[in-house]
Amino acid sequence: MSQPDIKNDVGAMNAAEPLLPIEKKLIGWSLGLGIVFLIGLIALNHFVPITL
Amino acid sequence: MSDIAIKASEPIALKAQLNEDWLAVVIGLLVYAAALVSIGGIDLLGWAVTTSVYTDLAKALAPVAKAYAWLGGGGALFATYAALLAVLSAGVATLGADVRKFAVAFTVVFAIAYASWIAGSYAYIAAVTPADQQKFGIAWSLKLTNEGGFVVALLSGLVIANFFPRFAAWLREAIRPELYIKIAIVILGATVAVTAAGRLNLASSLLLRGAAAIVEAYLIYWAVIYYVARKWFGFSREWSVPLASGISICGVAAAIATGGAIRARPSVPVLVSSLVVVFAVVEVLILPFLAQTFLWQEPLVAGAWIGLAIKTDGAAVAGGGITESLVMAKAAAEGIRYQPGWIIATTTTVKIFIDIFIGIWAFILGYIWTNHIDRGPDRAKPIEIWQRFPKFILGFILVFAVSLWLAVGSTPEIAKALPSAAGEANVFRVIFFILTFFSIGVLSDFRKLWQQGFGKLAAVYFVSLFGFVIWVGLLISWLFFSGFKPPLAS
Repeated sequence: MSQPDIKNDVGAMNAAEPLLPIEKKLIGWSLGLGIVFLIGLIALNHFVPITL
Repeated sequence: MSDIAIKASEPIALKAQLNEDWLAVVIGLLVYAAALVSIGGIDLLGWAVTTSVYTDLAKALAPVAKAYAWLGGGGALFATYAALLAVLSAGVATLGADVRKFAVAFTVVFAIAYASWIAGSYAYIAAVTPADQQKFGIAWSLKLTNEGGFVVALLSGLVIANFFPRFAAWLREAIRPELYIKIAIVILGATVAVTAAGRLNLASSLLLRGAAAIVEAYLIYWAVIYYVARKWFGFSREWSVPLASGISICGVAAAIATGGAIRARPSVPVLVSSLVVVFAVVEVLILPFLAQTFLWQEPLVAGAWIGLAIKTDGAAVAGGGITESLVMAKAAAEGIRYQPGWIIATTTTVKIFIDIFIGIWAFILGYIWTNHIDRGPDRAKPIEIWQRFPKFILGFILVFAVSLWLAVGSTPEIAKALPSAAGEANVFRVIFFILTFFSIGVLSDFRKLWQQGFGKLAAVYFVSLFGFVIWVGLLISWLFFSGFKPPLAS
């Protein structure tokens, strides 16, 4: 089985990897959907008060 | 050796890697199935050893089930060791390992790793709340919770790696962090499901707010922290994913599950997890007092904020407990006496909502990485995507789904017996986590880790947590919980 080489693993932390389009898409969609959902939930929260 | 390197090298290595995934699923499901048998009245795992927070070592260990109390702590420890040795030896034999060497090395690894866990449960290290300290008759503690035992295990491994390198080399056959992590993740599905089901009553009334917590953690925090780590700090994808997950979702479990899903080297999520545990301690020390000072008139905002800001389950719930006692004390001083339990219940519920999506998020990331990012020189064929997909995530989802169904969709008798069964499985989840942390320590030269950028990792965490996570968490907690107070005590 594979045995990790910690020194190399930590060294790989700073690998020069530009943001790929798929990463940009992931970030953009996550953030966009998150904000839209949050606004929707805030609106819903206004009409459905908490019941304990 | 990285999985990427394995993929590029030879089919035999790839085959071995896939076998390890499936082996983790088989062992994880075996533990889970054995735990489920107890629902029918036959307790197959009750002998497993658990460790309580202690000041008297003689009272630290015990079998998880009272029916096996006759075994005593020492007997339970030996039984647990023997069972793990048997199952893991059979397992590594299928991977082509030297079973005799593994058995000898595993004996030592288990002994040191579990001793570290016991040391981490010492009250002066683990006790969190003032009530805990009073219970144990101590004036101070490091407040690491018993998850601090993971850090002790990591430190033990680091000492061996850095001061006894020949001993570390001798242990090598049983230093298998990837296998241990994956088995633990499969078993984790049961714990997460049962905890979620246990709070369904309150959770249903907080459904809307729980959804906001999920949106915040997975879609907003994660995206921003991933961007900060990648763009501002120049981290690789392999490090950014577990880091973003650890800071934004749920510390240890999320970092390990998503790190595994993108096939990060096992040391990456484990080192991130260690950082999460340390930062969680700092948060537990600071945030409840800020909540008491500034949010005592909004107790549920305080509870939700703690759940959104503190990133390990143990520390978050402990933080919720401290916040509750501090806020209630402040309110009582002003003549307002709230019913106890509501603040910590809000913290726990928010945290649980966040936790239950770990598997789904790991699945999504695993799909994106195998299909779009880590697909090799040629576009991956569907079968290759399947071959590279981390199978143990499927094990996690299966265990989670079955447990949730048993908890909320089956008979009341089964639902009642399930937490105890999942608790027995969870004993093994904890042990596999301990073995993972110790194994990673044995493979680490900490001085070089720091030289090569571990401080930078802490910087991302600091910037994200104190510059973004706790403030957005506060805003959202305020938007959803302000104005709602716990019932008054009669």
